[in-house]
Amino acid sequence: MINTPLFQFKDVHAGYGDVKILNGVNIEVPSGSIVTIVGPNGAGKSTILKAIYQIAKVTEGEISLMGKNGKVDIRNIKPHKLVDVGIGYVPQIENIFSALTIEENLDVGFIHGQGRNLEIRKTEMFERYPDLAPRRKDRAGSLSGGQRQMLALARALMSYPELLLLDEPSAGLAPALVDQLFEELVSINKSGVTILMVEQNARRALEISTYGYVLDMGRNRHEGEGVKLASDPEIVGIYFGKK
Amino acid sequence: MADFIQLLFNGLVTGSILAIAAVGVSLVYGVLKLVNFAAGDFLTLGAFVTVFLSVDQHVPFVLAILVAMATIAGISVILEFTIWRGLRKSKAGTLSLFLVATGVSLIVRQLILIIFGVGSRKFDIDQVKTFEFLGAQIAQAQLVVLVFASATILGLGLLIAKSPIGKGMRAFSDNPSLASVAGVNVDRIILATWLISGLLTGLAGVFQGMVQGSFESTMGWMLLLPIFAAVVLGTIGDAYGALLGGFVLGLVMELSTWSIFFGGVPSSYKPVVAFSTLALVLLVKPEGLLGYKARSI
Ligand SMILES: Nc1ncnc2c1ncn2[C@@H]1O[C@H](COP(=O)(O)OP(=O)(O)OP(=O)(O)O)[C@@H](O)[C@H]1O
Ligand SMILES: [Mg+2]
Repeated sequence: MINTPLFQFKDVHAGYGDVKILNGVNIEVPSGSIVTIVGPNGAGKSTILKAIYQIAKVTEGEISLMGKNGKVDIRNIKPHKLVDVGIGYVPQIENIFSALTIEENLDVGFIHGQGRNLEIRKTEMFERYPDLAPRRKDRAGSLSGGQRQMLALARALMSYPELLLLDEPSAGLAPALVDQLFEELVSINKSGVTILMVEQNARRALEISTYGYVLDMGRNRHEGEGVKLASDPEIVGIYFGKK
Repeated sequence: MADFIQLLFNGLVTGSILAIAAVGVSLVYGVLKLVNFAAGDFLTLGAFVTVFLSVDQHVPFVLAILVAMATIAGISVILEFTIWRGLRKSKAGTLSLFLVATGVSLIVRQLILIIFGVGSRKFDIDQVKTFEFLGAQIAQAQLVVLVFASATILGLGLLIAKSPIGKGMRAFSDNPSLASVAGVNVDRIILATWLISGLLTGLAGVFQGMVQGSFESTMGWMLLLPIFAAVVLGTIGDAYGALLGGFVLGLVMELSTWSIFFGGVPSSYKPVVAFSTLALVLLVKPEGLLGYKARSI
């Protein structure tokens, strides 16, 4: 890649306690792209995202973001400050505040919306996700699986992220909703948000991705343009035999 | 009828004090998963600091109350840095935290005896003045407590519902890791929780002292069980639930003494009534009055 990427992992080693999970991972996310990480269960995909939030401990390597005000060393930033440098994150599980109302979920997402208008942003989100609008006063825990995922995305978008990190956004969704979700991700990306996601649904995710990485045993195994990876018979055979 | 009005009024007064104390306990539990058994004794300390300042040192009553509230909040924050933070870092479980809180509670009670001496104390307020209302006797001290407690509860409700710090606290109680990801500053939330709960605990102690007339070093301890019953009744960790639970128990406890119910429950049995109410509610709704179960998907 010619330009400096928006976001970068350089030879990152990370793990939990004494257990090492990532053994030198390299990832580049160009500005404006969708980049997908795929790989078998336990490969360390979620750990990549958790390393950014210091949930997994990084022992070596560099994680950096080329923000508007220059390069930011992510390893030196407290997790709750990552919103301020423009990173949004939708975790794999428990990614909404189920005891709070839908509207309050969005409010919490806006906590760092410095100088911007909360009501305008909420209106935009309710326009983007019309299913949520009539239920804004309901507890988020009462939403269906698909609606929850939309709320999780909306919550993360409230802070106007430049980079959106998604951990298995299609997990647990009915097939019809999976298509809808990937369309939604393309639409979010077109609105100017760079996306780095981890997906089990590898083929569908890679098809909409600018670039993809195959991770195995905490190491890079393959990489290439999303569509090419998705149709590479060797990779398809080894890593995602199931359709 | 006059009896009913009287008991209803007493119930609202008791309920408002329980509610204020219970919210403090509930916020601390929600955010820190700490069962703060020391809350009762800090409540007592609030009353003693106020009586010391206002009666012994002739500080104006309102100022004395504010200083007492700030004292409890300050001690709560100091304990956070000296004890609780370290215990959380070393991953102490809920039971260990509870036992340490019980230890703190015993120390505070002894310190009150050492510093302020044995024996009962009284605020320098008019304890006898009453108004007649629909045949009931409304004591001025009770009325003042009810008015100010209600204002506190309203303000508190707004703070928790609308302010960024209130939303942050509720978000953090619900899902701590997501709150941090969403930009909630965990350290600030924890400090705010101790400050708010400390202020509320101190205030509840003063109110209870005003209503009781005279009080001793065991005042808060006696109130601790109804406070916890209120927290659990309303749904543990839910601030609104604690408010509701406090009022419900206050009313039930006072109304249970009404002679119309088989001559009325003797008033020393009020805690029994509180716990019977709690048990009944939990039988029907195990998650508490405001509890709910998230839809499983
Ligand atoms: N908090 C933790 N403490 C210890 N080990 C963990 C922790 N979280 C994950 N692991 C381990 O790290 C390894 C990689 O987990 P990770 O969640 O990154 O995999 P993944 O590629 O996301 O898998 P999946 O497809 O199942 O989501 C697994 O062996 C897992 O058991
Ligand atoms: Mg995972």
